[in-house]
Amino acid sequence: MGDFVFYFIALCTCVFSVLAVTQRDIFHCALWLALTLMSISGVYFYLDAAFLGVVQILVYVGGIITLFIFAIKLTAHMNDTSIRQTSKQWVISVFVTLLLLLVLFKVFARTSWAEIILKTDSTSINQIGLSLMTHYALPFEFMSVILLAAMVGAIVIGKEKK
Amino acid sequence: MIPLVYFIFLSAFLFCVGIYGALTRRNVIGILVSIELILNAANINLVAFNKYLGTPDGMGQVFSLFVIAIAAAASVVGLILIIAIYRDRKALFTDGFTLMKE
Repeated sequence: MGDFVFYFIALCTCVFSVLAVTQRDIFHCALWLALTLMSISGVYFYLDAAFLGVVQILVYVGGIITLFIFAIKLTAHMNDTSIRQTSKQWVISVFVTLLLLLVLFKVFARTSWAEIILKTDSTSINQIGLSLMTHYALPFEFMSVILLAAMVGAIVIGKEKK
Repeated sequence: MIPLVYFIFLSAFLFCVGIYGALTRRNVIGILVSIELILNAANINLVAFNKYLGTPDGMGQVFSLFVIAIAAAASVVGLILIIAIYRDRKALFTDGFTLMKE
């Protein structure tokens, strides 16, 4: 039963992600991306990372997808499906991507994962909070500075020039 | 119990789909969509290794939190740049951005 849940989530993720990059209408792409991100949060829930799953839905589906839809609607007349949406080099892109996928799968299949001692104990939310406030306090503070810089930068760049 | 390598296969597949999208899209917003996919592939790896190797302080999950925050900041700045360029040049396709060549 547990295995079946994983296979279902993985299949959903793969199908939705392929649709998100191949759809012609960019608005549909954003919606498929939302579904992909939700299935990825399903992967997190499956891996006992409930906090990350919730953060994924809150930040990605709630925030970033909304931003994407705003940007798509603000630039609406460029997103007509009658305009060509893929570049001319798509044949070679397919070739390169398939080659990369093949190499990666080959490498992962040949690696001896059995040597790794599997522990499978889950990290609690408690633990994450403690780590963020003690060992990873400095990166955490830097993260807030980066978010502030992104916000100020977005306001400055987005301001209408007089 | 699902083997660890299945999660790595899933993340490799997502990564390749993202690379394909970033290479073939003409629309800049489509390229940003693909970059989000690539970042999520990295996150799946981090969380899977965190679960299966039992890192002492939840390192993988903390780092994927950082990745999510960086991705949010990156897409905010990227989308506002797209809107600024669109307002200036009425172009949204990568072959229309020739400002540096002129």
